[in-house]
Amino acid sequence: MSRHKNDILQGTLVLLVLKTLDAQGRMHGYAITSHIQRVSADLLRVEEGSLYPALHRMSQEGWLRAEWGTTEKNREAKFYTITAVGRKQLETEEASWTRLRLGVTRVLRYA
Amino acid sequence: MSWFSRLRNQFRENAVSKEISKEMQFHLSEKVDDLIGAGMPPAAARREARRRFGSLAYQTERTRERDLIGWFDTATADIRYALRSLRSAPAFAAVAILSLGLGIGANTAIFSLINAVMLKSLPVSHPEELVAIHRGEGSVLTNPLWEAIRDRQDTFSGVLAFGSTDFNLTAGGEARRIDANWVSGDYFATLGVRPIAGRLIAKADDYRGCPGTVVLSDAFWQSRYSGDPAVVGKSIALDGHAFEIIGVADPRFFGVSVGEHPQAFVPICSEAIIRGTNSQLDHRSSWYLQLIGRPKPGLTREQINARFATIAPGILEATIPSNWPADALKEYRRMVFSVLPAATGFSDVRVAYGKALYVLMAIVGVVLLIACANVANLLLARAAARQREMAVRLALGAGRGRLARQLITESLLLAALGAALGLIFAWWGSHVLVRLLSRSDRVLSLDLGIDERVLLFTIGVTTVTGLLFGLVPAWRAGRVDPQAAMKAQGRGVAEGHRRFSMGKALVVAQVALSLVLIVGAGLLLGSWRKLATLDPGFRRDQILLIDADIRGAATPPELRLALHEQMLTALRALPGVRSASASQITPIATSTWNDLIRTDGFTPKSDEDAVVWANAVSDRYFATMGIPMLGGRDFDNRDTQTSAHVAIVNEAMAKKFFSTPAAVGRRFQKEVGGNWTAPIEVVGVVGTTKYQSLRDSAQPIMYFPRAQESAVAQYVSFELRTSGLPIGIVPNATKAIAALSPRITLDFTTLDRRMAESLTLMRTIATLSGFFGALAVLLATIGLYGIMTYNVARRRNEIGVRIALGAERGRVVRMVLGEVSRVVIAGTLIGVGLSLGVTRLVASFLYGVTPTDFVTLGASVALLAAVGVAAAALPAWRASRLDPVAALREE
Repeated sequence: MSRHKNDILQGTLVLLVLKTLDAQGRMHGYAITSHIQRVSADLLRVEEGSLYPALHRMSQEGWLRAEWGTTEKNREAKFYTITAVGRKQLETEEASWTRLRLGVTRVLRYA
Repeated sequence: MSWFSRLRNQFRENAVSKEISKEMQFHLSEKVDDLIGAGMPPAAARREARRRFGSLAYQTERTRERDLIGWFDTATADIRYALRSLRSAPAFAAVAILSLGLGIGANTAIFSLINAVMLKSLPVSHPEELVAIHRGEGSVLTNPLWEAIRDRQDTFSGVLAFGSTDFNLTAGGEARRIDANWVSGDYFATLGVRPIAGRLIAKADDYRGCPGTVVLSDAFWQSRYSGDPAVVGKSIALDGHAFEIIGVADPRFFGVSVGEHPQAFVPICSEAIIRGTNSQLDHRSSWYLQLIGRPKPGLTREQINARFATIAPGILEATIPSNWPADALKEYRRMVFSVLPAATGFSDVRVAYGKALYVLMAIVGVVLLIACANVANLLLARAAARQREMAVRLALGAGRGRLARQLITESLLLAALGAALGLIFAWWGSHVLVRLLSRSDRVLSLDLGIDERVLLFTIGVTTVTGLLFGLVPAWRAGRVDPQAAMKAQGRGVAEGHRRFSMGKALVVAQVALSLVLIVGAGLLLGSWRKLATLDPGFRRDQILLIDADIRGAATPPELRLALHEQMLTALRALPGVRSASASQITPIATSTWNDLIRTDGFTPKSDEDAVVWANAVSDRYFATMGIPMLGGRDFDNRDTQTSAHVAIVNEAMAKKFFSTPAAVGRRFQKEVGGNWTAPIEVVGVVGTTKYQSLRDSAQPIMYFPRAQESAVAQYVSFELRTSGLPIGIVPNATKAIAALSPRITLDFTTLDRRMAESLTLMRTIATLSGFFGALAVLLATIGLYGIMTYNVARRRNEIGVRIALGAERGRVVRMVLGEVSRVVIAGTLIGVGLSLGVTRLVASFLYGVTPTDFVTLGASVALLAAVGVAAAALPAWRASRLDPVAALREE
């Protein structure tokens, strides 16, 4: 599969999903993709192929709660909400992202 | 993800897949709607959405990667990564795998011996059902008892008896002996063993007056007859009597005595053919048969014991020995039969070697611990070097658990590679061990095949080992702070170092454990050396021992002594023989003889206390054996059947019973068949010698002239002191005896060899403990050297600064050596404490030293200290030669 340049960096998808759900509340997968794309001004594009595996794993880890519901177009879709454990995970992920960003920035600046 | 939910996913597989494809279906529809909304025609929109999404099936697969399959996939990835990282550090990998291989291999080797000797079930059908019939403490019964039990019992569907013996295959001259078993008629049927040629002994073959029939072992059939089936029906001479070969037993079957390998099985009734008028079939006090039964279905051991209690009086009354004293008969009537599980058969080897094997197991266990500590140390050093790698992976989002799992995988992989190497060592080592434990007269024969128990043991040991040395580095890796690790560029001037790091603690443990092993080895080697070089009271070199069996010559009892004399005369005439004698018993042999004696002026504390070892010897016995004559005279032709009975006693006996070494002229009586003999006069006193074992303390021994013995046996031994190699006399001796009668059979050995072989077990334990002790010290040395080299490398900058600031080189060396001595001293102190606690476990093997022998302890400590200094010398020297400028400039 060819890769877009603005594909999301491995490991940050979880962070983005958690952040989105934390801010937006209950959402289905498609809405999550659209939200990330919109908010990042199309800089980030969620690869659909990795989203659903990630969502599945995150539910299993207990970070998300998933339930089936109907959309306004009366389609059946799975809706996700962030759990308390998920919020804690979000904090960790945010912290480690900050460290990584700092680290990379410093390398770029001083190396 | 927990194992449980992973497993649940497997069962829910269909439900999960359905749910996911439903979810993706929804995603697809939404995408298509959006694209249409953006102005794309519906067909093109559907195509575009699907293209972006990739195949639905593929996505479903990807999602399930999080399940069981995914777990295995990541495990293989981990293993591949681990392999790659080991390949990138080949020296580390080689040292680690080699030390683990030695450790695991040694453990597996000893365990497979323990398995073969103690744990393996007999290769018969349903061994778990079998029970052994015991009487009180022992399990050996007489033939009348066996027949009474066989005829009266009703709790077994089959019951068998067997006894060990050996047969000579030659009709005369030098004997060729094979191990054999007397077996009852239902022996093979009860065990469920099948023949591979001919048929096996059946009930119908075992009756009084039966002809000689024999079943061969497969090994014997292969080696002597090359597995020729036509041999069935042919005849073979056993002790000079013709036996018809009726069949060959299953190749896996080795009898029911582990460690022995009988080559021939003959019915018990054929004992009458071999022993003739000496047959013990009706002897009520000849104990040589052991019994095994297969209980009827549903019967418990308690029920069988209860049944035995009711039938025992009848059995005992019917087999009561005739000539026993009253109190012994009372004892006989009180005999209680009981059954014990016999799935693993009987074994003298188990009794003889059991303790030694457990001691060896403990030793190799400690060696493995030391090897583990070594590998853990190597891993810690490596972990320090890989700290940045770990930090980067943590920063990139790897879970700490994930990192730990990666490291544990590496450890387990190392352990597994070590185990693979170990299995090769073990296969080789266990065979070498069996050879070491075998003697020329007692070849140890064991089924060393690796079965599931050995494999489970190895896998268990490997896993525990892997976790043991892998957990600490893994736990530490999880605690790396990525920011700190990335910042630390290895440029700190004075590396903060804890006085007692984990690595040092491990080396302390290694030093302590290896001290225990070398103290143990020192004690065992010292005991062996003492036993091997002690003065037995006779001269051990240049003595040829001949055991002669004159049964084949069919000499009437009254002429036997004359034949013995003729043989002795013939042997004395041989060139190269300086001196020769005849005797009933030879030193350090399995056959012994003792009698109760009494004398005025000595009151025994117990019956035991008045028992004296005995021997009947010809003239010149003492001269031939090099036993000093301390007083009186040797036997000569004055001592005849009709003259007054005389004896020569050794110094220990003279001192004990006559309170003086000058006992010539004193008298004593000995007990024969419940009566006291006429007084026997002491005509000579000789030096004290070992009788049965080199471990004997100074034992009283009395010697009688052969001419005055009431019954002359069919067996006699000769001692030949030679001027050249004793073995060189064998051909001429064989010829000389054959000239007298070609039907006399002879067994040759040298006194030197017999004494050496009596120490086989001791020599094996001592050399193995020495070997493993050396290995332990080597491993500890590598550990010490490694940690010192590493510490010096880590403190390069600091040492550089010290030298630059004017520290003398000697001071630097002292600093490094000081660090080593702290480790060695701590380890030694712990090790001394441990040694004092555990060396008494080997006390029963020791001779002439106590388990807390301070000389051995001191020598071991000195050895370890020397090794410690040697291990530290190179790193210390390197530290002192450090060029401060280079060290400080270097990034």
